[in-house]
Amino acid sequence: MTWLRNVLHDIADDAPRLDLTERIIARRERRRLLAPALMTAAVTVTAAVAVAVVTLTATAVVRLAPQEPVAERPGAVTDLPARGVGPVSHAYLTYCRPDDGRVPAGCVEGGWQVVTRNGRTYRVAQALRNDTGYGIRRSPLAISGDGRKIAYYATGAGTFVVRDLASGAVETAPAKVPKGWLGSITHLLLSDDGRYLAFSKRPPLQDPAMVFDLRERLVRPLPNGATPIGLSPDGDTITLAEYAPKSRLRTVGRLWSSSLASDAKAVDLPGNHLAGPLSPDGRTVLAVSHLPDSTCRGVSGNVVPVDPRTGKTVQRELAYVDTGTGEIVRRVPIGGLPVADHRVYLRGWIGPREITAITTPLTCGDGRDGRTATMTRQPSYAPYTVHAVNVDTGSARKLATYRAQSPLHLVLPGFPGTL
Amino acid sequence: MDRNDSFREFMAAHQQSLTRTAYLLTGDRHLAEDLLQSVLVKVLGRWPVTNPPAYARKALVNQYISWRRRRVSTAELPSAEPPERSYSSEEPTIVRIAVQRALSRLPPKQRAVIVLRYYEDLTEQETAKVLNCSVGTVKSTAHHALARLRALAPDLAPRFSELEGRKTVEGARR
Repeated sequence: MTWLRNVLHDIADDAPRLDLTERIIARRERRRLLAPALMTAAVTVTAAVAVAVVTLTATAVVRLAPQEPVAERPGAVTDLPARGVGPVSHAYLTYCRPDDGRVPAGCVEGGWQVVTRNGRTYRVAQALRNDTGYGIRRSPLAISGDGRKIAYYATGAGTFVVRDLASGAVETAPAKVPKGWLGSITHLLLSDDGRYLAFSKRPPLQDPAMVFDLRERLVRPLPNGATPIGLSPDGDTITLAEYAPKSRLRTVGRLWSSSLASDAKAVDLPGNHLAGPLSPDGRTVLAVSHLPDSTCRGVSGNVVPVDPRTGKTVQRELAYVDTGTGEIVRRVPIGGLPVADHRVYLRGWIGPREITAITTPLTCGDGRDGRTATMTRQPSYAPYTVHAVNVDTGSARKLATYRAQSPLHLVLPGFPGTL
Repeated sequence: MDRNDSFREFMAAHQQSLTRTAYLLTGDRHLAEDLLQSVLVKVLGRWPVTNPPAYARKALVNQYISWRRRRVSTAELPSAEPPERSYSSEEPTIVRIAVQRALSRLPPKQRAVIVLRYYEDLTEQETAKVLNCSVGTVKSTAHHALARLRALAPDLAPRFSELEGRKTVEGARR
């Protein structure tokens, strides 16, 4: 063995330990399912291009390739280009006057920034800026599960839009949403194909939450004050979750078969839980035990699978065997995740067996015994660590650490979870 | 056993070694993950393949070269610098940093040849097969790569020279 081989082995020891198997299988399955649709689209586009070329004069220059954005200096933050942006890994809200600590590069007060998987950061200048100083208006942003589309409230359009980052195509919601309808906590849910977009807010106020079908240009009202956490693949059934005053799941079916959303059902969850996004099987939800804000006691990080129809905790396996009963209780302890002294928030699924979980350190008011301490969130940018949690074993592996001022200020791809 | 199960078996056995190769090629943990993921999705698309480890390695190396040619701005940022002063080629940590830094400045094909010849320990013929080129091209690419490494890490120049001589002798024996 040569000395260089030893050195190269030494360097390779720093390689990450990855488990990509299920993610790759899921991606392959998605591509396989999309292929016929893409083929149809390609035929249509080819025909259109052929017609266009024929009608152009011989001297005309046709630029068919999408325009690539100009290469940026690493670390530079620029406005989102019109097209040619790769999939994003996360988005975060920037406030430029944290109590202490470093201000993010390219900070715009109350503005969103998206970060691509390659590490490029862009300001979403088209999105409505949030009220400064944690005001009553929260302008939300959502990222599709594949990271290729984002949804936000477009100031110019006066409503929500969905932007395809690569092509630059923008779809505008079929109804205006006055800015005053945005609450202090506003949630957006974007379907993976970008066709459906649901919006809700807290406090509920009098204005409706709603779901849009951007392709058919339809709108339906939704129960207000709950977070949309899942949508069936056909867009016909939406699942929403509440965490206060009690943990509750609402399922609204037949969204588009009548002019009013119907077939709504609400179930209460046992105890105090924060529900994560609807699982890929469409029948279960994982929830994490919620910590009351008034105390640091009773910390528990068990992940509890919950059937949204019954509100009862179920065995994780039910998601996969589809027994339909949903009544067996099983708790899956999380391993390798700091739960005793951290808040835990569940976010998008990254495969049939893995869900992302965000952890952030807790701080207790008096820091002595925690019995009567009031919990305060760090006013400056705090670390939010993203983990992939295996829902079979509860084992977690760290994916990345981002900095944000609130869990609501950090958005990951996929359906949202509560808080 | 369906195709996903056999793919799972392959991944269980070879995922980590492919990750290591991807990391040596890209020099960045996130880029390595991106590269590997994009390659393995394609591999699974053609599954089952003959000799999956070799097929995946070939796809990995060629995808890396293609990426680097298209995405010039994704150059890695070394996390440490070798010392300004002259250093001994016997100081392992410094040698490692110097090699890592020099590797990051090689053109993609030269870097691929170094990884295939000196990490994967492939012969010139095997390397040529992976890169879809002639043995002569592999020889000249390796020669240029080592010359560039000598220039980029002058304190290690004698050791790189010694290496080239040794590989030539081994190649002649094979």
